[in-house]
Amino acid sequence: MASYDKTEIADLIDGSMPWPSTRAIMSAHKDDDRFDKYLSILQERVPWHHPILLPIGEHLYIVQSGENRIVKCDCGHEFGSYQDNWKNQALIRVRGDRESIAEIYPGRYTCDPEWMELREFICPGCVTLLEVEAAPPGFPIVFDFLPDLEGFYEDWLGKSLPQEA
Amino acid sequence: MTATPITEPQSVTTLHERLLESERLLKETDSYAGLENLELRAADPLKYESMHTKLRSMVVSAREMARRISASPGVREVGESVVAIYTPEGDAIALSTGIMVHVHTASRFIKWMIQNGYEESPGIRPGDIFANNDAFIGTVQAPDVIITIPIFHEDELIGWVAAVAHELEVGGITPGGDVALSQERYTEGLMVCAEKVGYDDELRRDYLIRLERNLRMPIYWVLDDKAKVAACLEVRKQVRELIDEVGLDYYKRATKEFIEEGRRAQLARVRQLTVPGRYRGHTFFGHVTEGKQGVLPQGNRNWLYAIPMEMEVTRQGKLSLDFDGTNSWGYHSMNCTPAGMDGGMFVTLTQHMNFDGKVNDGAWLATDMNLPLGTWTNPDKETVATATSWALLLPAFGCFQRMLSRGFLGRGYKEEVFVGQVNSPMMEMGGESQYGGDFGIALFECAAAGSGALGIKDGLDTAYVGWNPESDMGNMEIWEQDMPMVYLGRTISPNSGGFGRYRGGSGFESLWAVTNTELLIPATSEHSSRVFDNAGMCGGYPAPTVQLHHSVKDAGIEQRAAERKPLPHSIGDNPYESDIERLTDGQTKIDEGPYLAEPLQSGDLFAHSYNGGGGYGDPLERDAGSIARDVANGYVTADAAENVYGVVVESNDNTSTVNAEATQSRRRNIHDERLANALPVSEWIEQTRSRVADGDFAPEVREMYRDSMELSPRFAGEFRNFWSLPSDYEIAKRSRR
Repeated sequence: MASYDKTEIADLIDGSMPWPSTRAIMSAHKDDDRFDKYLSILQERVPWHHPILLPIGEHLYIVQSGENRIVKCDCGHEFGSYQDNWKNQALIRVRGDRESIAEIYPGRYTCDPEWMELREFICPGCVTLLEVEAAPPGFPIVFDFLPDLEGFYEDWLGKSLPQEA
Repeated sequence: MTATPITEPQSVTTLHERLLESERLLKETDSYAGLENLELRAADPLKYESMHTKLRSMVVSAREMARRISASPGVREVGESVVAIYTPEGDAIALSTGIMVHVHTASRFIKWMIQNGYEESPGIRPGDIFANNDAFIGTVQAPDVIITIPIFHEDELIGWVAAVAHELEVGGITPGGDVALSQERYTEGLMVCAEKVGYDDELRRDYLIRLERNLRMPIYWVLDDKAKVAACLEVRKQVRELIDEVGLDYYKRATKEFIEEGRRAQLARVRQLTVPGRYRGHTFFGHVTEGKQGVLPQGNRNWLYAIPMEMEVTRQGKLSLDFDGTNSWGYHSMNCTPAGMDGGMFVTLTQHMNFDGKVNDGAWLATDMNLPLGTWTNPDKETVATATSWALLLPAFGCFQRMLSRGFLGRGYKEEVFVGQVNSPMMEMGGESQYGGDFGIALFECAAAGSGALGIKDGLDTAYVGWNPESDMGNMEIWEQDMPMVYLGRTISPNSGGFGRYRGGSGFESLWAVTNTELLIPATSEHSSRVFDNAGMCGGYPAPTVQLHHSVKDAGIEQRAAERKPLPHSIGDNPYESDIERLTDGQTKIDEGPYLAEPLQSGDLFAHSYNGGGGYGDPLERDAGSIARDVANGYVTADAAENVYGVVVESNDNTSTVNAEATQSRRRNIHDERLANALPVSEWIEQTRSRVADGDFAPEVREMYRDSMELSPRFAGEFRNFWSLPSDYEIAKRSRR
């Protein structure tokens, strides 16, 4: 079964691995120890110590914080329980008129603001753009992912959920 | 070793009984054909794998042979075909490359014949040839014509081989294959409904006469059918030779083991690559046809489709997709059937999960879909049109790819994270050809759009469509042989890939001069209006997929060329004034929605654009040097680089370089602008609530909500709950009078 060094995994997830090596990994059977190495790399990179349970976005993780499992940005901003939509605790910029849409989609590239607005979800801590939704005005914000953490760890990975030291 | 024969109960004597028995075994044992063990695989894996490789080799080589018989540039150049082998019950065992979306639709077609008593009448005998392009029986849309023949060993039917090609002309109300203006089945063109179209290995002459008399360009369909029959006969011959080699019992058991292995592999892949839980996403599609020429009264309106989707991954690894909350079918050509939805699911799985083992119907058997009756995914009336069902199908399965990718991201397989497929705007046409006679064709260069970005790199530029992983746009010179237009240019569309740390792949645009015809009737479809029918991911933006059509009557190209004035070769990179407007003599007309406008003739110009894919990650995190390269290569304009990426690129004749100081300043500005223009989501909800309570939306948006709430109590409940609306909140139906 395939297995790669942590440095290789780090290069791969950062997009800095040369394409021939990336392609070889994509074409090979998957490395079953990826998750542990992935988590280890990410944990070393964040400036806080809550154990990462599951990455759910480019900068977002579900972490164990005391008794609670919360969504946290790598800047340290906390979004509350992972069972609630983290977007509800974010900043939002809505591009709902022609002028603001044109900053991204000028002229003939635009959508019709009567039919579609752009919602930019921004981290209050680091101002990173975490997600963009394109939806008609009034469409409820989507809750992208509610993982079954117990099922994932206990049934699939065969281990207990990490606890905070 | 000797294969343990798969024994069937004494009562099972007909195909229909075998099908019922197969379904019973799957339901009761939760495994295909009730197989507990992959006995042949365990006993002699080399022999087992060798047989699978031979089957796969047969279908791949048969498809290549068929491509060389076909006269259609869609099949010859672009590869719009597929060949597959099936069990007697109609389950796919092995398939070729190509339009793999149809492997499971052909399965539906075979099962439909069995379920509908074809053994009795019209009979299923050696040498028979059956055809179908009825989506409610088993295909995606009318141009996807399936040919299948039974494979007999002595007196026993031991399987089927099927071949599918996408026809470029089907004789509908508007020319081409994807009949843009069809609003009911009766205008979709020539329908062949699970018909016995040949016997003794030959197509019936009266069937061929029907094709010749009902199609604008019969040479495509007729030769494609002959190519497909040839492919099927070749595979049948080789399967018989294989059975002579391995024995019938071995063949029967091994083919069932292949499918069960595919089913198990799918479950294992889900557990290996994703995370159990509930995933959600959505996409939308706008269809603007109100008041357009030729639209029948019941469809004379604009449509906004919501496609909210939920994917559940269970602890067992079962993957279910739910379309609850989506909108009703309508009097337009974009409806889909469960067969088409199956096809979308199947082809997506083959690209993301079921790609390294036995690619067959086993993957499909391990999944589930809820297609609410009455929606576009499962119309409650079999007379609705499905001619352009890809319009909604592709955005939906692009959303499926993003949901799967959220799981891949969680597991660390970021190289598999994929922002998804996008729509393929179709360009169909007919009228009088450059050679003098009638013609009709689908210009199939759409088979090479931009892909969504990956989690580690930019999307593919002009090289991917979801329905055919072997994408190819075909050479311009080939298309010019088959239509009265010449290319003034085929060009990467700048800024067509969604912005992001990794940008979506770029789409392209074509600009043609109409020549040597007095009548050219273009008809376009499968491009969204007013809304983007795709999305970004993790901070990436959607691709700008609202496509408009530019046309010019009497553009004066010949005169301009004689005077050596500059000519337009693309729509150009100025979003406010196109090159077509700047560099032609006539009046440029810009149409939104499907192009169903005035015919064109020699001297006119027409432009059509293809979509790019969605972006991934915050654009401010994109490497500045890669943006300079994008600007130099025409993928991104300097304006977009500065406005969206915050990268100031300075270009001269030969180089594009990043102004580091200006870039740092501009990126800081964008950061500050984000903060200045943002507010907490809770405040935004509070501010927006009264607008929602008042139903203060465009008529099409109101109708979309009304329809979703009426069809789905869950959607209605969640909508009211999100906006804290009273339990009796509803939106009144729009009067059509």
